[in-house]
Amino acid sequence: MADLLCRALQFILPPRLRDWGLAIRYELAEIPDDTQALLFALASVRGLAPRALGQLLMHPFVALLGAAVRASRGFGALHGPRAVGALCAVGAVALGLVSMTVAGAPVRYLGVNAGALVLGLLLLALVSRIPEGAGRLSGALILGLSVLLLATALVGLRIEGISRWVKLGGVVVQPSLVLLPFMLAAFSRTRTPLATTGMVVAALAMALQPDRAMAAMMTATLATVVATRADRLTCLALTASLAAFMVTLLRPDALPAAPFVDQVLLSSFAVHALAGLAVVAGSALLLVPVLIGGSYDEERRATSLAFGSAWLAASLAAAFSNSPTPVVGYGGSAILGYLLSLSTLPRPVSARGGPAIAPPDKPLASRDSHSRIALA
Amino acid sequence: MPRTRALSNHARSVLAALLDAGAGWSHGYELCRLADVKSGTLYPLLIRLEAQGYLEAEWQQPAEGGRPPRHAYRLTKTGVQLARDNPPERKVAARSGLRTATT
Repeated sequence: MADLLCRALQFILPPRLRDWGLAIRYELAEIPDDTQALLFALASVRGLAPRALGQLLMHPFVALLGAAVRASRGFGALHGPRAVGALCAVGAVALGLVSMTVAGAPVRYLGVNAGALVLGLLLLALVSRIPEGAGRLSGALILGLSVLLLATALVGLRIEGISRWVKLGGVVVQPSLVLLPFMLAAFSRTRTPLATTGMVVAALAMALQPDRAMAAMMTATLATVVATRADRLTCLALTASLAAFMVTLLRPDALPAAPFVDQVLLSSFAVHALAGLAVVAGSALLLVPVLIGGSYDEERRATSLAFGSAWLAASLAAAFSNSPTPVVGYGGSAILGYLLSLSTLPRPVSARGGPAIAPPDKPLASRDSHSRIALA
Repeated sequence: MPRTRALSNHARSVLAALLDAGAGWSHGYELCRLADVKSGTLYPLLIRLEAQGYLEAEWQQPAEGGRPPRHAYRLTKTGVQLARDNPPERKVAARSGLRTATT
């Protein structure tokens, strides 16, 4: 019996500690009394098993995160943060599915998340084909999307006095979760008067819906943009967002928490440690593309930081309020939003076409061939 | 200045037992009895001491056939210093005359 216990202990110990398991097992042969040997084995298991089990449970997630970070450096150098982000999205959705399965979520929920992932990847592939030069139009695009958010607040699907959804072909979508991260990351490099107007309209929409989590995401992201490069227009957008956030804090938000959707980050640990670890690892994966984007030039680094701030804020807000847990919780809107926002991150140098050497808002300094050669 | 975690009395007792053994090697069960600690306390401590460089461990072949090898331990030079700096509490108390009188 004592030997069996020690063999079990040896099995669960991490490889670097297996020798110690063997040492304990062999030490039993020197204990003359069987009861003493059993007590020795039991105490050893009690002393070492909790640590061994903890490391055993954490190992897949630590390995996954380590692999993601390594991939982000090696693979990212070749394919850029968008490709790394797409892989992270696949990993995060998969971990979310694991967590929901452990927690006993309906199969339909798993299907919706998997379907949103496929749709999102197609969307990312389509948007990524747009030449970077078209980014000059993104001021108008941001304004246009903000009007959609405002329209959602005014005529969208209303639940418990809150209007932040639209029904599309029988599926309920939260437009702010799909569009706002993309708009914020795009704004970080398109700080034109038109884009700023879009941000102010979006802030108004968040206040009207009201949506604390999205308003918090907006404020955190715009604060990051201001911290990286402050100018009058960005400060104006941040002020509007801060005001909207204050309004959402003052307005009642009596929406009850939905299972598998809200507060998943903390509640999943109550279901099972494995579910909790899957959710935490999946949420951490969402931020991996920032590691790649940070190695580019200042303009693109600011966009990567804005992207990271948006998703970090969304995850934290979801942990403490009744708002959807992005990507790892049930809900296709966040999955679509994450993949769409990846399109704002820099593409690999070899894939850039057209005059990518100049920021989208600014005119090319010179069109003469000498400058082009020097900048190429 | 970094703060170092104070050693528990169990750790001090194990260090004292290893210090008493001098250059000789000690074994797990023997240390449990000498230091009056359970194996669940001893082994995590030995693992930590070895990782920190205070302890060296080696496998010793059995003197008689048919028995398994044994894992043996002794203090390194820094381990000896650590043990000297951290004697068991009762020794400290006795030396400073603060030990509570028993009836």
